Amino acid sequence: MADTARSSLTQSRPPFYRDVTVVKWVVQIFVLAVVIGSMFFLASEAGDNLRASNVPTDYDFLSVNPGIDLSEGIDRDPDTGGRALWVGMVNTLRMALAGIALATFVGVIIGLCRLSNNWLLNKIGSAYVELIRNVPLLVQILLYGSVFANLPRVTQSVGPISGWLHLSNKGLSVPRFHIADGFYQWAIVVMVGLVLANYVRKKRVGIQDLTGDDTRPIRSALLVLLGVSAVGWFVHPVFGFLNTPLRQISEGISLIPQAAVQVALAVVALALAVRWVIKFLDARRSPAGLAKLTDDDYFRIIFALAGALIMVFVVLILWPGLSSWLLNAVSDFFTVLSEKFGNGRSGRPLDVALPDVIQVGKFPNYGPSGLNLSIGFAAVFFGVVFYTAAFIAEIVRGGVLAVPRGQSEAANALGLRRWTVLRRVILPQAARNMLPPLGNQYLNLAKNTSLAIAVGYSDIVQVGQTVYNQTGKTLPVVSIWMLFYLSCSLTISVVVNFFNVRTKIVER
Amino acid sequence: MSVNDATTAVSEELAKRKDMIVCVGVDKWYGDFQALKGVSATIKEGEVAVVCGPSGSGKSTWIRCINRLEVHQNGTIIVDGVELTNDLRNIEKIRSEVGMVFQQFNLFPHLTVLDNVTLAPIWVRKKPRVEAEALAKALLERVGIPEQADKFPGQLSGGQQQRVAIARSLAMEPRVMLFDEPTSALDPEMIKEVLDVMRELAESGMTMIVVTHEMGFAREVADRIIFMEGGEIVEVGTPEHFFVSPTEDRTKLFLSQIL
Repeated sequence: MADTARSSLTQSRPPFYRDVTVVKWVVQIFVLAVVIGSMFFLASEAGDNLRASNVPTDYDFLSVNPGIDLSEGIDRDPDTGGRALWVGMVNTLRMALAGIALATFVGVIIGLCRLSNNWLLNKIGSAYVELIRNVPLLVQILLYGSVFANLPRVTQSVGPISGWLHLSNKGLSVPRFHIADGFYQWAIVVMVGLVLANYVRKKRVGIQDLTGDDTRPIRSALLVLLGVSAVGWFVHPVFGFLNTPLRQISEGISLIPQAAVQVALAVVALALAVRWVIKFLDARRSPAGLAKLTDDDYFRIIFALAGALIMVFVVLILWPGLSSWLLNAVSDFFTVLSEKFGNGRSGRPLDVALPDVIQVGKFPNYGPSGLNLSIGFAAVFFGVVFYTAAFIAEIVRGGVLAVPRGQSEAANALGLRRWTVLRRVILPQAARNMLPPLGNQYLNLAKNTSLAIAVGYSDIVQVGQTVYNQTGKTLPVVSIWMLFYLSCSLTISVVVNFFNVRTKIVER
Repeated sequence: MSVNDATTAVSEELAKRKDMIVCVGVDKWYGDFQALKGVSATIKEGEVAVVCGPSGSGKSTWIRCINRLEVHQNGTIIVDGVELTNDLRNIEKIRSEVGMVFQQFNLFPHLTVLDNVTLAPIWVRKKPRVEAEALAKALLERVGIPEQADKFPGQLSGGQQQRVAIARSLAMEPRVMLFDEPTSALDPEMIKEVLDVMRELAESGMTMIVVTHEMGFAREVADRIIFMEGGEIVEVGTPEHFFVSPTEDRTKLFLSQIL
């Protein structure tokens, strides 16, 4: 009796609609079908409707002269729509990167003020945070804009140090450094210097560990780097000979047949997938043998192999042009590089250009040779920096307060000095608390630069708006905006996550 | 105040040694609440003093005053001839001479066990790293966990963490060790491994003040037991005196509750 009961328990399978494995797979495939189906449906519907109502969805404007002038940027008079948007992107990136750096600096200072026992510093920090974070960013940007607009008007000889530094209602103009002829030769010398400096640093750290003397490894390394760079400033033309080998590399690459690249790409794709699967299976292998693979595991393996096969298909059949494009791109890269080392390119590595004031029509304005920071840039820049700094200050304060009091007590009890306690015990732990919210603030700052439109700074949004006002290509421009901000944000996230993983504390 | 004539309760041999810690009339307020009321005691070199008493009696506050984790408002504290004042140099000197072990271990979670132990020798004593690591390894050997040197504190058991904390304090080669309820946060089976280390330390002649509820340890290791209640030292005596024939009623009440 008991035997039959046991065998019926182990052997009888449930009907398929109650079998967990079957149900799971059916549901997954069903969901996948629904998602793909609805995406197709929506896309084709949208396409039909857009065509019917004559809304343009093409990207031709990227290669057509938009006929617009930009107020500032790497190219004031771009000759294609794509170039115009690129100028806007560079302006946005410039603002975001500089803003992140300065906002972090100001934020940390204000945050430390709020942590201070000094009554005055503490209250200044609190007042700053409460004032700045409770006023909308747009209002602050408009405020700074109107303040800067009241600076003296620009004339031929304006500014605190005429010829070097100009400050007026057109903004700030300072000397600009240019990459000049000898730069690439010199860059190689500097790279050699970096390697040497790193070697010296390691050596000095080793001596310090052995003898306990303070050998100042960082300072020695910097001195080595400075010394090598300074010598390189005069001897860099010796690297001019690289011109010939680089050109030969370029020619060699252009001789490779396209089919070889196709095959190579296909093999790499397959090899990567197979290697991944093998590593994946290895990770599931224990001394007792291969663990039972779950449905998820099978799904991942199938996904990896299918991805590789699709890649092979694309490379070999669907898009052979990709391979020749890659080939040409690499070859062109080396050609351009070899030209950088060509004849006559042995002048100074860097050049400096002084700001100038030129007559544009009736009005004097800053010319292109100096580094010009406009009023619009300053308004948006200080707006996002001060605004974000208020939030960063709170993050710094919270991060430090979140380190348990016992940590500083234990460090104090060991006799460590105040600065050592901060540097070796509190800050490393506080940084771990601060990183994730800090990443959020960086994302916010990057996205908030789009408020530049309020004061007419030529960021990607302002340029894009001008472009679609001229061409009527609203949807394509918006799609470019979205892609741009998405890739900026993802880049910031990846960088922050990298440090987040690195500072993680090991437990168990 | 016969109770505060601490030296009278010390054996003659101990009484001849030099004073390591001298507290005279130490007062400490938290706002309106007086946590220490004129605490006076003298700890001799190489003495093991166990401080016990009900919670809230000021035991922890007192030993935290000795290395300036709390600031006392009245009275004098002298450690190894250096008076604890607002002078930063004195504070640093005393802190590097006095090791402390906490109830919650307070290891640095972002550093390996070895780095926890070498941190202070390298940054305060300016020892070469090689030398500091050799010392740290010897100390980890002494507390019985040499094999854990490269792990992080979060990977160790409570008892192991507390032994690392003891090694970390010993790495400064202190003249005095303060223990603030070192076994109170431990599981029962781990208490012994920590007490064994402390016992070994006491036998090696270290001056120790131990705040603890481990009466077995007190009876066995202590030279003197200091009983505190309500911010005052109520009774001081040898373990035999304290456990067998206490004189004060409050001491008798306390003992009847815990034994």
